[in-house]
Amino acid sequence: MIARKTWREIRVMALVYLLILELLAIPVILLWPDLYGELQKTTFLRSLPLDFARRIGTGISDRNEEVAYRNWISVMLYFRSVNLAGIAASVLLGTALFAREREAQTFEFLLARPVSRGRILFEKCWPTVLCVAVPIFLANWSAIFWSRQIDLELPFGELTLASVHAAAFVLCFLGFTTWVSVLSRVQAHVAFWVGGFTIVQIGMYLTQRFRHYSVFRLSDFDWYGPILSGNRAAWEMFDPIRGDGSTTWLLLTTVTFYALAWRSLARAEP
Amino acid sequence: MTGAVIATSALSKSFGERAALRSVDLTVQRGELLGLVGPNGAGKSTLLRTLIGLVQRTQGRVDVMGHDPATASLAIRHATCYLPGETGVYHQMTGQQFLDFALGFYPRHQPALQRQLLDGFRLPLQQKVRSYSAGMKQKLALMATLIPDVDLYLLDEPDRALDASMRFFLRDVLLGCKRAGKTIVLSSHHLSEVETLADRLEFLLDGSFVAPERLAAARAQLRRWPRLRLKPGASLPPGARILRREPDEALVVETDADPMAWLRSLPADVVDSVEIGVTRLEDLYQLLLQDAMPARSRA
Repeated sequence: MIARKTWREIRVMALVYLLILELLAIPVILLWPDLYGELQKTTFLRSLPLDFARRIGTGISDRNEEVAYRNWISVMLYFRSVNLAGIAASVLLGTALFAREREAQTFEFLLARPVSRGRILFEKCWPTVLCVAVPIFLANWSAIFWSRQIDLELPFGELTLASVHAAAFVLCFLGFTTWVSVLSRVQAHVAFWVGGFTIVQIGMYLTQRFRHYSVFRLSDFDWYGPILSGNRAAWEMFDPIRGDGSTTWLLLTTVTFYALAWRSLARAEP
Repeated sequence: MTGAVIATSALSKSFGERAALRSVDLTVQRGELLGLVGPNGAGKSTLLRTLIGLVQRTQGRVDVMGHDPATASLAIRHATCYLPGETGVYHQMTGQQFLDFALGFYPRHQPALQRQLLDGFRLPLQQKVRSYSAGMKQKLALMATLIPDVDLYLLDEPDRALDASMRFFLRDVLLGCKRAGKTIVLSSHHLSEVETLADRLEFLLDGSFVAPERLAAARAQLRRWPRLRLKPGASLPPGARILRREPDEALVVETDADPMAWLRSLPADVVDSVEIGVTRLEDLYQLLLQDAMPARSRA
């Protein structure tokens, strides 16, 4: 019941979000041949003052077009599109989960239904999780089709692995937003706290001295580049003992946020 | 605590420093319709929320149909329908979608009552709830609360935003529920209607029930206060003082001696109408409120 209602509320937003991801992807793919030609004529990007920008510039102007193209995809599809549109979707959808119920005075009605609060959380969250994560896979898989229009190939396996990592990163934000949404009575407060956190993290990422401490360090060019070029195996992403297990840690953090949301909801009073 | 649908003992609830309920003892028998009356902030909503487990008590014992709301709230909610004091309906749904959603949580419904409510309320169920008036939203919330076939109904101000004719209709509906053996606890600010509807009234003042002896004393006191309406231009004859002037210009007065003797002594051309010996719930309510909070009443 609650899951169906949640899906009815978010389905249009899910479609718009998928379209945005797709619209962000198509031009950067179709314009690649012209861009790559221009990149070969200049060394400007290789001499940018910011370290991460210089490495991006170097990566996308690699002499090997296949390598350069995968670097381009890792920057534009994952580092830019998913971080931009994915986090925006997470904040928008997560904010509405509980704070909107309170604002609309339906929170008490919902809590009085003969279902456990754990089930309320679960049934509200799983459609939202799917709504946030599935478009990431769909939009990025569609890059295979669009790449063939410019006579380039993208590997399905590596794209999927990168999408898993990107989805885990975005779901972390969704989990955080859900927790704050359970605690807040006003949607604007949730947006303020989560949006403020995100802006601070972006600011840290763009500051060389603090970049290492930004959460965006976990979802940037340095992650997606090696995954797409086949230099980071799946076990490295998922095994926290032999590899860095970064994706697993992101998923565990997401689960932790949901556990905190569940605990807060169990104690919530109308 | 057996035999009763609801039994509380020394139930207390505090929000920080503020006590919302103070050692409340309440028993509601199966099939009983209990009216909860009290001013805003007296603790009526908190009491109903505590019974269903939406808020956790600070102290005391609560038993609702054999379950403790603190540990078995879900079991209670399976057998209870609760109408919140603030009308909570989803504006983005149509009325029918909201009803389907709300009723879908309960396996058994009351089709006859559903038809009665559909005929009585005449809601445009195919329209979005956001186009509804406050009264229509309240009717929709009432349908969602009353149609499920459960044992206990907790109704926080069910007649809120309803016009007089709908309040009378709701009274008939609730009496029908009572006849069907349902247990109902309701709070309301329309005191005269609660009085005609409820088997029993409990007055909540500042988180506590008013003691029966205090209630009886207040009723006895009220029976000695005539309510009279003077003819235009007439002034109150000596031997009595005005306690209160009603909005309809009726005067509630207190006499120095026996009120009946004073009334009999009144000249015929002074008094338009007289009422005595009738305990109006509104008067009782105000008297108890003045007793409980003299400082507040003076202010």
